[in-house]
Amino acid sequence: MEQQQNTPGSLSWRLSSHPITLLCFLAFRISSLLVYLFGMLFTENLVMIFIITILLLAADFYYLKNIAGRRLVGLRWWNEVDPQSGDSHWVFESSDPATKTINATDSRFFWLAMYAQPVLWIALAILALVRLKFIWLPLVAIALVLTVTNTLAFSRCDKFSQASNMAGSALYGRSLAGSIASNMAGRLFGR
Amino acid sequence: MASTSNHQYPSPEIEDDLIDPDDADLNDFDDPLARNESRQPLTGNIGTSSSSAGGRPLNEQSWTSRIGGEDRSAPVNTIDETVWETLRRDLLAVWSKMREVLYPKYLFGGTMFDYQSGGSEGGGFRSVYANLRGAGISGAREELAGLAGRVMDPEALLNQSNMSPGLRDWDMWGPLIFCLLLSLLLSFRAKDDQKDVVFSGVFAMVWIGEAVVTLQIKLLGGNISFAQSVCIIGYTLFPLVIAALLSALSIPVVVRIPVYIVLIAWSLAAGVSILGGSGVVKNRVGIAVYPLFVFYLGLGCLCFIS
Repeated sequence: MEQQQNTPGSLSWRLSSHPITLLCFLAFRISSLLVYLFGMLFTENLVMIFIITILLLAADFYYLKNIAGRRLVGLRWWNEVDPQSGDSHWVFESSDPATKTINATDSRFFWLAMYAQPVLWIALAILALVRLKFIWLPLVAIALVLTVTNTLAFSRCDKFSQASNMAGSALYGRSLAGSIASNMAGRLFGR
Repeated sequence: MASTSNHQYPSPEIEDDLIDPDDADLNDFDDPLARNESRQPLTGNIGTSSSSAGGRPLNEQSWTSRIGGEDRSAPVNTIDETVWETLRRDLLAVWSKMREVLYPKYLFGGTMFDYQSGGSEGGGFRSVYANLRGAGISGAREELAGLAGRVMDPEALLNQSNMSPGLRDWDMWGPLIFCLLLSLLLSFRAKDDQKDVVFSGVFAMVWIGEAVVTLQIKLLGGNISFAQSVCIIGYTLFPLVIAALLSALSIPVVVRIPVYIVLIAWSLAAGVSILGGSGVVKNRVGIAVYPLFVFYLGLGCLCFIS
């Protein structure tokens, strides 16, 4: 966080409209990486580091998906399951640009952290493979799954929100992904 | 079961469609939007639909409200809510899933709770606690009696509306927490140089096992999504976590054997009662449930030998 404050431009948390949310978000994002990288310096207990890292990753996933994304950039996604057929589909929603203005600083921080995290974990996965530390691979795999899921979902959510805002009439952007899901929507609304 | 659900009007020669009974409320009338389903509950699973008069409309609320937008799927409601509302709603969702595991619906015949909104309402929370306190001891006794008395009823297993609304939207908190706890507790008793291996091994085994069981159900034609099934199986690991805790406390073996059998049966009952009706073809329910049994048994044995 400290080195990011010094960078020029709008990447300073003082310009944020939700400073607490932003700082918590960055803290969650960075802490899991820090524990994974430097945890072994403080304790020899691999199991403890494993658990702390996974819990931090899960907390980060939850916080990003449900709170930070909503408050920083006004986007949210989730997954719904049709109880009859068991098909799952993505649902995206975004805030109305007329009622909520997105702070440019928040947005930049958000997307930077969003895309930086999976890249860093991929690098760590390659590192673990090269150093033959296979015991860490499950952890890295989980981290990758969590971060990449969030990144993909939010980038698609962003696309959908831009499309629906362009259409103008949208109070909220909501779209169903995939042909199966659209079929199902047809069935739903046809009743 | 079918006798209780017969039509309560003594003169069957009067056509029901033409004359509406006096004491019928709005729910009994034909819904033009849902004409297809309105007949189905009367012929198919009569026992459940007639026992609760408002059962069908409540179940349908989640369908129709996707259009109208009043439940939590409505995007307008959730994008601007406070942090506490988000946290509270998700914690309640987790709790409603735990409830399904603590009281396996299959064993208790589904009469103990009315699953109308999966605990997503604020008012339901307190009554759940009252239920938990009130029915805790009698419920446990009833479970033991029910284990002996209630034989597997394929009709109840195949009931399509088996899955309660609270379980439809899945999360990964239960699987994650219980998987971590299980691995941690089992690695306590391992030798010092094997702790890491035991931990990783159990961790990987749980996730791979969940994936395999889910794949089996999917291949047999179950209408359940992958993540949903993993979520449910993860939550049903709770009794096995108790078993692992007993192992970590080094309870003597003689005590552990019957307790573990009960705990495995509890896990299996919870898993079957939630997953059983996921639309597997009729005479293949046994095949679909068998890997689940092997999975629980394997983890139980792992708890036993550690």
